[in-house]
Amino acid sequence: MGKVFIVAWKEFLATVATKGFIFGMLFPPFIMTLMIVMMPILMNKKAPTVYGHVAVIDPSGLVAPRIQDAFSAEKIKERKDKKLREVMEAGSKAMGIDPDAAKQMKEQADSNPMAAANALIPETNLTVTVLPPTTSIEEARKEILKATGREQSAEGTSARLALMFIPEETVRTSELDAEGRPNFEAYQLLTAPLLDIEVQQDIRDQTNRAIVDARLADAGQNPEKIRGLTAWPKVEEKSVTKEGDRSTNKVAKMMIPGAFMFLLWISTFTAGQYLLTSTIEEKSSRVMEVILSAVSPMQLMLGKILGKGAVGLLILLLYSSAGISAMIFFAYAHLLAWQNLIYLFVFFMIAYMVIACLMASIGSAVNDINEAQSLMGPVMMVLIIPMMLWMPILRNPNSMFAQVCSFVPLINPFVMVLRISGSEPIPTWQIPASILVGLLTVAFMCWAAAKIFRIGVLMYGKPPNFATLVKWVRMA
Amino acid sequence: MTNAIEIRGLNKTFGPKRAVQNLDLDVPEGSLYGFIGPNGAGKSTTIRMIMSIIFPDSGELRVLGKSSAVESKDRIGYLPEERGIYKKMKVGAFLKYIARLKGLDSAEADKRTKEWLVRVGLADTYRKKCEELSKGMQQKVQFVASVIHEPDLLILDEVFTGLDPENRRLMRELIREQNDAGRTIIFSTHAMFEAEQLCDRLFMIRSGEKVLDMPMEEIWRTYDPKTVVVEPIDASDIQKSWGSLPSVKEVVETDGIIELRLIDNADVGELMRQAASMAPVRRLELKRPSLEDVFIELVGGDAAAIRKELRSNVKPSLQEVSRG
Repeated sequence: MGKVFIVAWKEFLATVATKGFIFGMLFPPFIMTLMIVMMPILMNKKAPTVYGHVAVIDPSGLVAPRIQDAFSAEKIKERKDKKLREVMEAGSKAMGIDPDAAKQMKEQADSNPMAAANALIPETNLTVTVLPPTTSIEEARKEILKATGREQSAEGTSARLALMFIPEETVRTSELDAEGRPNFEAYQLLTAPLLDIEVQQDIRDQTNRAIVDARLADAGQNPEKIRGLTAWPKVEEKSVTKEGDRSTNKVAKMMIPGAFMFLLWISTFTAGQYLLTSTIEEKSSRVMEVILSAVSPMQLMLGKILGKGAVGLLILLLYSSAGISAMIFFAYAHLLAWQNLIYLFVFFMIAYMVIACLMASIGSAVNDINEAQSLMGPVMMVLIIPMMLWMPILRNPNSMFAQVCSFVPLINPFVMVLRISGSEPIPTWQIPASILVGLLTVAFMCWAAAKIFRIGVLMYGKPPNFATLVKWVRMA
Repeated sequence: MTNAIEIRGLNKTFGPKRAVQNLDLDVPEGSLYGFIGPNGAGKSTTIRMIMSIIFPDSGELRVLGKSSAVESKDRIGYLPEERGIYKKMKVGAFLKYIARLKGLDSAEADKRTKEWLVRVGLADTYRKKCEELSKGMQQKVQFVASVIHEPDLLILDEVFTGLDPENRRLMRELIREQNDAGRTIIFSTHAMFEAEQLCDRLFMIRSGEKVLDMPMEEIWRTYDPKTVVVEPIDASDIQKSWGSLPSVKEVVETDGIIELRLIDNADVGELMRQAASMAPVRRLELKRPSLEDVFIELVGGDAAAIRKELRSNVKPSLQEVSRG
């Protein structure tokens, strides 16, 4: 057993103590953490204020005052605060944030409403100039060309950032379309080329709203009342569970099981790849027989599988702890069922052992990485199934398809991790049953891999196909 | 004397090819045994069976008193014919790894690694990556890997291949040194002169069959020189009646050198005296057969063809050897 651990330790170090691994594996979580920490700091940075004016040609005279009103200082601030609240609420709702935490965050945001919104919505200092109805558009648009885009920093300048031409027929018309609805004309909106996209959007929104309000007023209606009547109803959505009602968390519902499976896939597969390449390297560099003079093929294979397995486990731990700490940080921790982490570990072991046996067999049988590709093809095709089907499985964790997949060797660990961590409970007996299928698969794969490995490691020459591998299994 | 290796009736076939046929062999403890034969004769197959890397179809095999080398792996040093190193691993780490696998503890492994690297003139490579070494240096590292745990039995397969003359000499010294320390050594080579210079017992194999297995002195005694070479100073003396000398069976002359083939049980001393008195000679010697000659004589058949077979550098593909 001692030799197995010497091999395992060497294999572990050979992978982990390389620049490639440290960079490839440690860097992404590091960057993620950095971003999470940096985000609030970056958010506090104010977007530069936009100065300038918007010109309106409004022959009807009904729209321009409303636009002027919309761009008054109080109205601009009002819009900004409202938008911020909406963003916060929508965000917490979609992500299924713990209601208490959401409330806390909202309070925080209310006390410092500028924090996040500043990054989203630039401060605007716009005036609205109403041009005489007879002004030609050609003349008026020349002013826009003078806008340089530096208005954002140059206080006091009043470049023309946009020009609206609103024909009277945009507001009132006697024309009706086929279904008897008034057929209004379009209005023109010309903007400076470098105008901030949020400001553009705001100008468009306010103009549209001013036009609609003008139409309603013109038709003798109260615009505020109509708006109130036509607003979308608010909804309070909750899913009913045995533990009590819970706010629905659509995104989290999909994200967490997906992340679990993805984590499992990445860690087992990366470790499997390392195992494959290191076995091929030992063969192609002809170091194999040197090593076999000191250890038996079984010891070597076991040591390699353990060593690379430790690498996979390290990846799993690294990424899952990064993920879990992020969840705690963002107050999502209540979404995690801790026993699922234990299942994740169990299914990692099963998935890794199966993949490792496959990789060790393939690696031992071929002469170089190119030959491995042809044997890897079918293996990959099977392993990619859970990646492709995670959505349908997640949507309906108890569909016949999902249930069958839970007992298909090779993919059952991935499918089970998806189903277990999904929100819909699955029949309890299926978990031990699937684990049993997994363990039987592992036992069979180890048995076959040992035979293939023993013969394969000293075989050179014609690359084997699956038929040859089966022959070796039956031969030894 | 006990035997380090005992082989009885060993057989191994790869598909249609009988790699080793009905082989018996005893390797006494402390001997320096040469395995010679042309490429593809079955040397490496035999060695691999001794090492339990491949398993015989039939026959018995005992290594260091055990029924399998697996049971005494840590007492055996093995330098395979197909040898390599981890390209990306540092030399020191590689040797330490092998030493640890051979049962040494970490501190001892490190100590011996450093000692050995100094010994083979590679002290400065401890921290270098293996791929940075030249082929000859790698070969030395591999040799160190096979002896670092001070094995009782050392098996070196084609140890001289790829070495320049200077390193060949170093390798011969190292092998002798190991033998002097009491270790049993088996080395295989297809280059017979290496064996001639080094070993004290010889095992010859061809097409999987043993053709010869005896101590070197006995070989020289058995395959007694039966030819005397005469090179007269004066070219005209070549014409003299050399055939009339006692015990001479046949005279062959090539490029001013005369070879006198003698009858069995010839009185060589008397012949030499008489030959010297016939004409002034530049050279008069009792020809010592090379192992190659012995091999040809044992195998029989077309001498030129066999010589060619022995010297061919084209290695049979391993596929042929191990897969069949």
